[in-house]
Amino acid sequence: MTTQRFALVDCNNFYVSCERLFRPDLQNKPVIILSNNDGCVVARSAEVKALGIKMAVPVHQIRHLIEQYNIQLFSSNYTLYADLSARVMSLLRPYAPHQEIYSIDEAFLDLTGVCDHDPEAYALHIKTAIGRQSGIPVCVGLGPSKTLAKLANYAAKRWKKTAGVVDLSNPERRKKLMQIVPVNDVWGIGSKLSKRLKQCGVTTVWELACLDESIAQSQFSVVVARTIMELNGVACLPLQSSAPNKQQIICSRSFKQRLLHIDELGQALTQYTVRAMEKLRAQNSLTGMLSISIRTGMFDHQQQQYQRTISLSLHQHTQDTQLVIKTVKQLLAQIFKAGYAYQHAGITLGQIRPANESVQTEMFCEPIGYGQAKDPATQRALMASVDLINKRFPQKISFSTSLFKQAWHYTLKNQSPRYTTHWNDLKKVSCK
Amino acid sequence: MLYTFQMICVLPSFDAIMRAVYRPIIKRKGLTAPLFNCRVSAGFPSPADDYIEQSLDLNQLLIQQPAATFFVRAEGDSMIGAGIHDNDLLVVDRSIEAVPNKVVICALDGELTVKRLVSKQGCMVLMAENPRYPDIPMHEDIDMMIWGVVTAVIHPL
Repeated sequence: MTTQRFALVDCNNFYVSCERLFRPDLQNKPVIILSNNDGCVVARSAEVKALGIKMAVPVHQIRHLIEQYNIQLFSSNYTLYADLSARVMSLLRPYAPHQEIYSIDEAFLDLTGVCDHDPEAYALHIKTAIGRQSGIPVCVGLGPSKTLAKLANYAAKRWKKTAGVVDLSNPERRKKLMQIVPVNDVWGIGSKLSKRLKQCGVTTVWELACLDESIAQSQFSVVVARTIMELNGVACLPLQSSAPNKQQIICSRSFKQRLLHIDELGQALTQYTVRAMEKLRAQNSLTGMLSISIRTGMFDHQQQQYQRTISLSLHQHTQDTQLVIKTVKQLLAQIFKAGYAYQHAGITLGQIRPANESVQTEMFCEPIGYGQAKDPATQRALMASVDLINKRFPQKISFSTSLFKQAWHYTLKNQSPRYTTHWNDLKKVSCK
Repeated sequence: MLYTFQMICVLPSFDAIMRAVYRPIIKRKGLTAPLFNCRVSAGFPSPADDYIEQSLDLNQLLIQQPAATFFVRAEGDSMIGAGIHDNDLLVVDRSIEAVPNKVVICALDGELTVKRLVSKQGCMVLMAENPRYPDIPMHEDIDMMIWGVVTAVIHPL
């Protein structure tokens, strides 16, 4: 059997690179991308990392640094990032028979038997071609297992000397690297697990790789045992060809200003419900449980704090936005308390399963939450039409309360234009 | 030097190329015109039906590598000699090698700028297509990167 070879291609500071592609003036300048509502740091350029600014820091805590170093702030522009991500993934496709899109900025490639004569040169080709054609710089890690490919990529990113490509097929080279990488930087070893491992004297990746996997399985978990095998060059994790459908769909946001009234919260939740249900239908699923949550501002220390989540199992699975909105409103009425300044609300859809699975419906129930009984087939056709129309003419059809002007809606004041998806947002190039 | 790109010599499978090339990155919204179109009223089949071939699609004509193609808008008159007017739409392909005589987008001092890349006396020069703008010779200490190659101009009349 030939040994397997995996590559992990990972975009460098992806969101920052997307912004820089159309703003060459920001090359080598510190750049930060903020989360929805411009609340927290979600991406940093190398210059910002060097300043010691961590991920997920609330922006108000680093105002002084932003001014001092003239850091450029961007609101996240997911329209742009999604388009550039699709381009990178599409450009990668010809390089391997199998590809797994692992996240918005990472893909595994199965290079088994593809480039045995000189894998490093092949990886360098990929890196150069993707960087040039998409405009997004990437690093490539190679290894006989996905975990090692991931580790190789970690090394390619961290050390400039590698020129962005690292191959870990050589066990000697592997050992050298593993001895200097802390165990919590291995794929699949979270912070909880690495704490427990450290208590057992395992601090580096090498020490983990040297553990006996059967002992690891009994002391920790099968995941740790599998990671050990992967680190030793035994591929246990195959490529996943398509992303599995989501088991849970969450849509939640912070508001620009605090909301006081139940009607405003209801509007916000209606809008998130509409979005969550669109996602649900896009993967052709039904939801059987929903939960909503509301809370006051975490950093409003002077104010009274309040936070509540409520869940409800639906009698019957559904993908009907109208029915779910009704239920959401009822749930909100149960947990809403006047007198608080709300800053955040969200909806989670759970117990998701494919729409085409046949099920036994309940005999004596009022179908679906608090909703009215309607012919499900008609409802499904209606929802499909709404989705189709809204796809062609964005937000042409709205659901009752999501329609009102939203003074509360979060603002994206630093958002860059949608350069690649909107005719009015095209980048201007100088002929001067 | 910055403006030379290496050619990539990989031979992907034909199927893979097809999938890469025809991935619908550019969203098509029914802007196609069928070559033949006829209504049949009383059940008699149109003799032209067998001759319907395909619809003409401008994407097919203007875009070779969708994933590497970007649209940008020109601002100014420095490229008027190349047929690029103010406010024209440019099709830019980043997968094409920037060789002499190509019209290119370059990042010049942090700004995306349109120029023609030419070789003058063995030296690479960024040239405007308008005598009112001076040539910019490319040397080591100039802050310049080729961003992409302009493959078409879309000019409304």
